[in-house]
Amino acid sequence: MEVFDIFLLEAILNGLLLGGLLALLSLGLNLIFGVIDVVWICYAELIMCGMYAVYYLHVQYHWPLLAAMAAAVVIVAVLGVILHQFVIRPVLGAEPINQLLVTGGVLFFLQAAATLAFGIEFRNLGVTLPSIRLGEMSFSAARLVAFCVALAGMLGMYLFLSRSYLGTAIRAISQDRAIMPLMGVSPARIFVLASALGGALAGLGACLLVLQYDVHPAIGLSFGPITFLICVMGGLGSMAGGFIAAFVFAQFISVGGFLFHLEWGYVLAFAFFIAMMFWRPQGILGRR
Amino acid sequence: MKLRHVVAAGMALAFAGPAPAQQKEIKIGFIYDVTGPFAGGGSEPAQLGTKAAVDMFNEKGGVEGYRINAVFADAQSKVDVAINEMTRLIDQEKVDLIMGVYSSAQCVPMVQQIDARKKFLWVNVCIATAVFKDRQLSYVFRPQAHSDQFGAASCDYIDYYAQSKFGIAPKNMKIAIIYEDGPYGAGVAAGNEAQCRKHGMNIVLKEGYSATAPDLSSLVTKLKRSRPDVLLHTGYNPDITLFLRQAKEQGLKFKAMVGHGAGHSQIDKLRQSFGDDVNYFHSIDPAAAQLLDPKTLKPGIGELTREMVKRYQALKGPGELPPHVSMGFNNTWIFLSDVLPRAIRKYGGFDAEALRKAALDTDIPPGGTLQGYGVKFYPPGSQLAGQNERAFPVVTQYIAGRAYIAWPRAIQTADPVLPFPKGHAFAP
Repeated sequence: MEVFDIFLLEAILNGLLLGGLLALLSLGLNLIFGVIDVVWICYAELIMCGMYAVYYLHVQYHWPLLAAMAAAVVIVAVLGVILHQFVIRPVLGAEPINQLLVTGGVLFFLQAAATLAFGIEFRNLGVTLPSIRLGEMSFSAARLVAFCVALAGMLGMYLFLSRSYLGTAIRAISQDRAIMPLMGVSPARIFVLASALGGALAGLGACLLVLQYDVHPAIGLSFGPITFLICVMGGLGSMAGGFIAAFVFAQFISVGGFLFHLEWGYVLAFAFFIAMMFWRPQGILGRR
Repeated sequence: MKLRHVVAAGMALAFAGPAPAQQKEIKIGFIYDVTGPFAGGGSEPAQLGTKAAVDMFNEKGGVEGYRINAVFADAQSKVDVAINEMTRLIDQEKVDLIMGVYSSAQCVPMVQQIDARKKFLWVNVCIATAVFKDRQLSYVFRPQAHSDQFGAASCDYIDYYAQSKFGIAPKNMKIAIIYEDGPYGAGVAAGNEAQCRKHGMNIVLKEGYSATAPDLSSLVTKLKRSRPDVLLHTGYNPDITLFLRQAKEQGLKFKAMVGHGAGHSQIDKLRQSFGDDVNYFHSIDPAAAQLLDPKTLKPGIGELTREMVKRYQALKGPGELPPHVSMGFNNTWIFLSDVLPRAIRKYGGFDAEALRKAALDTDIPPGGTLQGYGVKFYPPGSQLAGQNERAFPVVTQYIAGRAYIAWPRAIQTADPVLPFPKGHAFAP
């Protein structure tokens, strides 16, 4: 290998862009866990619903792409609220394993419902964003957009949680669920709000994924497990931790896959995850 | 009871004929994937082909007086589900035999179990050589070509045209082999490597990946660094589209793409995603029956093929039929028209032993089936016992959405376009 390998640099930058995408996906899942203390195992399937929403509104009903995307964000936010009201709320006091099983059931329900409703066909928008070229290197503009949106989403969430009244209430609820009702904050309303926000972030992720991937009922399989692992590695409920973990994970996949056999990228990423679980079981920025 | 009821009952009895004798039936369990990623990669078209063949037999009264009771099971693109469905079909549905199976990842563990239980399995689609190699199976048979043949065909094809079309001597031809890392992809890739090395070609990269990988950008970067002339690719569907999208975004260039069935044979879907970018791509599979000249085949096969196409298009609309329709139809047809009647007539029924003996007697000459190949199974004791020794794949090239047979030359329907013409999205 040369001293300076332009292709290694391309792999590093591609890892950075992949990290942005994964960070965006982990943001909503972490918000939900941080506030409601329930893991939406079916999070990637909500993203799948959002991808179908964009596809149908834009391709079948000829909505302008941005309008279709905005509608998809709203649709998935509403799905998030429905999920909370009808599935999560009844099991809020149940054992965590039961909560996991319930959202796991929703995962299979959504996959099967999507297969029945939309069929098994692979669908795509037919929209290709141009590539960005730097000498011999070339990058996906869609990934760059996802990266920027992830940064903006993270910043937006930070400002919302730290500067707004509702954000302060959300943080307070996540820190002490028992005491806040005594201060006049309704946990039920905050949970609904957090579910809507988590759903909206899933919808946002869907808008960016649909530019890069075909939509099919099993698309969640590609992203669900990895998003969950990133959240655990970052510290479940810690948005900043998830953000960092996404970039670390993506670099293992991208650079590891470039320097060694492609599959080694994933082996190294998962080996690092296991080592982290021994070293810091609470995750990078998680609370004990 | 009122009088009119008595009269009505009496008339009904008077006009009713004798109760029809219940028709004898053979119960066959069919396993395909109609959900999950394999469904769109060819499994669903294969099931539709199979269903058309079964329907056609039942419409004519079945086989030797036995109506075919078809029980279709969905393996959901999962190995564990495929095995569970096989067990359910045998133990609960009490099927007489199992047929179908799209994915080699499912086939490999399934055959060991079913053979140990002395049940009969007729494999219609999955191609991994590992399904049979050195396993000495007794009750599993596959009329389909196997992955070593797929792998060899692409290298033979490139070797033949290296000098005349590419202007490159075979030993200077740079080949990259990329594949999904299941038994199907790994099997084809092993065949690629062995045959390309035999031709003295320069293999610059050989690398597998998971079909559900969310990112293949580092594979594309490696390919950019190794600058292959020809890409030999084996994959399903979501991974192929992801790879091609990232390859285009990252500016990967090469001179020809030879895919090996599955997702590469679903050209209508690839064109929906990539338009003319997939023009001049190739796929290797047993021939789609509708591409063959019926005059070169046994009399009557042309009409059968037309009926198959008609039935499929009635369900899915016009378009290029993927070869998987032919695999499902043809291989089911071979069993129902040749093996099963012989088992019933000569061996007295259709238990696994009778079917095994009947399958081993099969001797269909080349040109005797819809996909052009003959059928003769390697006998017990052979390294590939149960595999059809007369099956062969063909190289198909897609030009403006139409499929043409590019190899072998004896049945070529168009002179292949090699390398990509100038202006093609992937042309250097």
